[in-house]
Amino acid sequence: MTRTGRMVLLTLAALAVAMWTAGCATVQPWERARLANPCMVFDYNGGQADFASHWQSAREGSSGGFGVQGGGCGCK
Amino acid sequence: MQVGEREPAPAPRNRWRPLALAGVCVTAIALVAAGSLRGENILNIQFHTFQDSRGVTVLEPIVDLDKDFTERSGLKVKFGVDAITAASDSCARCHPDGANSQRTFVNVDYRRKIGDYKLDVGGQISRENFYAADTAMVSISRDLNKGNTTIAGGYSFSLNQPQLHPTQSVENQYAHDLFFSVTQTLTKNTILQLAYDYNRVSGYQSSPFLRTRVNDIMVVGNTPDLRSRQAVVVRLRQALPGDTYLQADYRRYFDTWSLASNTFSLGVEHYFKPSLLVGFTYRWYGQTGADFYQPSYTGNPIYYTGDFRLQPFNSATYTGHVVYTPAHRLLDLLPDKTAIDLQYDRYQASTQFASSMFTLGLRIPL
Repeated sequence: MTRTGRMVLLTLAALAVAMWTAGCATVQPWERARLANPCMVFDYNGGQADFASHWQSAREGSSGGFGVQGGGCGCK
Repeated sequence: MQVGEREPAPAPRNRWRPLALAGVCVTAIALVAAGSLRGENILNIQFHTFQDSRGVTVLEPIVDLDKDFTERSGLKVKFGVDAITAASDSCARCHPDGANSQRTFVNVDYRRKIGDYKLDVGGQISRENFYAADTAMVSISRDLNKGNTTIAGGYSFSLNQPQLHPTQSVENQYAHDLFFSVTQTLTKNTILQLAYDYNRVSGYQSSPFLRTRVNDIMVVGNTPDLRSRQAVVVRLRQALPGDTYLQADYRRYFDTWSLASNTFSLGVEHYFKPSLLVGFTYRWYGQTGADFYQPSYTGNPIYYTGDFRLQPFNSATYTGHVVYTPAHRLLDLLPDKTAIDLQYDRYQASTQFASSMFTLGLRIPL
């Protein structure tokens, strides 16, 4: 693994630990009104996210990071 | 390895497959619709258009149905068609008047709650002229800490089969993908997600549709048979005062072809009325080139490519969208809470490539 890769993974691990620690401050169900708004849900509009991912992967050399990936296509 | 050295897989394209896929999809949707109505059931109808500075136009209608059978199980079926008109740069060399193509895909996803876990099993079939892709995928997630933490993981396997047009030879490409994520509620207004994706692609990876110049002769590229790709993503959702929401994403990507990229996106959404949501997003993308990429080649290079996606460049995307959810029944036909979604994207790359995308969507609760 490259130095950059190790740095990224280390950063990711540090953030994960920080998140886990922050998780101790539990938000109660009755405090979650705004968290339930569609704007706060990752990829709430899955169809739009899939379309964007599709045309981006047809134009750019990198992809991934937003869920398990589907098959390729010949659209170049 | 030179193109053509590998034993080509036997080939064939069955022209009836898209129709068979459509039949399977319609049957599945009918089966789903015939089931009992419990939980959240959504029918999404979207119509996408894509037009770029090369003159390529793509029209893509997509229908997907998300339906719960019981409190613990559900099914999602998605069907779409890409109708591609005009010619890409590559096609134009042989078809100066344009070439038409079409891609048909079906995606089926079954989900079930098992104890505290949610299990998703699914697959996707995609067919087009000169390219076929079959994918199987599974993912699992679990809520912890009273729903404040969600951990998720998934795996997918894809068999991609490009046809070396204009010959009948077909090559195989195998892609394995592993995905992990942690989503954490930090406060009653903040959610953070961390994700890691490992993707390993083996087999034929040149594009049979793109040619490069080697010693002044245009040839199909020859790329390494193995590519390992990794991406880490950090995503933040922040509720702001006044019915406004902030969305920020960052992705770092790198692979064994020495291609690395950074992607930032920042978006703001605001409810001007409970029924009217307006949003704007800016996305910046920058990548280095693959270590063997050159605009043209001389001598006797081992690897060479005409794939524009492997060159260094950056791009910007501007997105505006409006979601209207009328309080009353739309046109007196559609159910309450049916939403109309309009979105426009403008993509501009430093390679002088530009494209516009427009989406009209209907989200219909059943």
